[in-house]
Amino acid sequence: MIGEFEYALITAAVRLGDAAYGAAIREEIAEVTGRTCSIGALYTTVDRLQTKGLIETWMGEATPQRGGRAKRMIRVTPKGAQAARAFYESVLRLSRGVAWETGSVS
Amino acid sequence: MGIDCRLTLIASKLLQPLEREAVLGDLVEAGESGWRGLFAVLGLWMRRQVDLWTNWRPWLAAFGLALPASFLLMGFSLSVSHAYQQWIRLGLFRLTGISVGSGFSLLLCNAVVLCGWAWTGGFVVGSVSRRTVWVSAALSLAPCLFCLERFRVESLSRFCLLLFLPPAVWGVRRGLQIACVRFGAALVLAAALTALSIPSWSSKGSWIPNWALSWPAWYLVATAQKPDWLTGGQRDAK
Repeated sequence: MIGEFEYALITAAVRLGDAAYGAAIREEIAEVTGRTCSIGALYTTVDRLQTKGLIETWMGEATPQRGGRAKRMIRVTPKGAQAARAFYESVLRLSRGVAWETGSVS
Repeated sequence: MGIDCRLTLIASKLLQPLEREAVLGDLVEAGESGWRGLFAVLGLWMRRQVDLWTNWRPWLAAFGLALPASFLLMGFSLSVSHAYQQWIRLGLFRLTGISVGSGFSLLLCNAVVLCGWAWTGGFVVGSVSRRTVWVSAALSLAPCLFCLERFRVESLSRFCLLLFLPPAVWGVRRGLQIACVRFGAALVLAAALTALSIPSWSSKGSWIPNWALSWPAWYLVATAQKPDWLTGGQRDAK
């Protein structure tokens, strides 16, 4: 089972598609969740997910707005998509019947 | 370029080249230059270091080998220096016509064992903890500096304590270059070191430091490149 931040990273990478790389994923996570994501947290998680075979990474092209430096591109593998789906479904199952307005089970 | 940007560039040298490229690019793109960039780079480096220590290998190399072995090898270096000094004195006696046993074989045996223990220990430290080898080196050097400062034997130079360092450094270097040695070489080395240390087993209590210094040699045997006859020809089958 993957963790919450791992799920956020995989989901952001899937949403970005071919444009998924470090800075774009950080921006996506910050925009959607409202929480900032440090470079340290991002790249250590990227490495962990890659070791687990949940994502693939490779060095992309360099662009002028990056000071001529290359991007680390990220792609979610079928195994990664499956792990993210399992996490999502477990959260759904766990939340079923919970009334957040009253803080009780309906 | 401001000092903060310079420091960020210097700190980024701590990262792997490809990761440095991606991280510096991300910082430029996100407009996080200056001190924030510096803290981001240092934060990533710190996380990487912490990640390395979630494995047992750096702990074994640093606290199970480098630290205790440096104390033991300093003691043994002193013993070898003392044996050398006695051999020189006996040699002088012989020159004056007094017939005394040489003690050369004991000196040679101790010197070989010292080099072997230091080399195998260094090799294991280098091969087991490549990326944390600087911590092991610091833990090994700290006792050396402590003992150098407090060394009070007038007949011997304080640098006698460091006799083990050249073979140990050589071993670390080889350990970083090659992960394991050939099985035959490792077995001969381990057997020779164990056999040469047998005479000292008679001394009460010395078998513990002996085995504390001998296990790296047997670790090399356990992790050596096994020949085909030992693996049952598995390599051929593959």
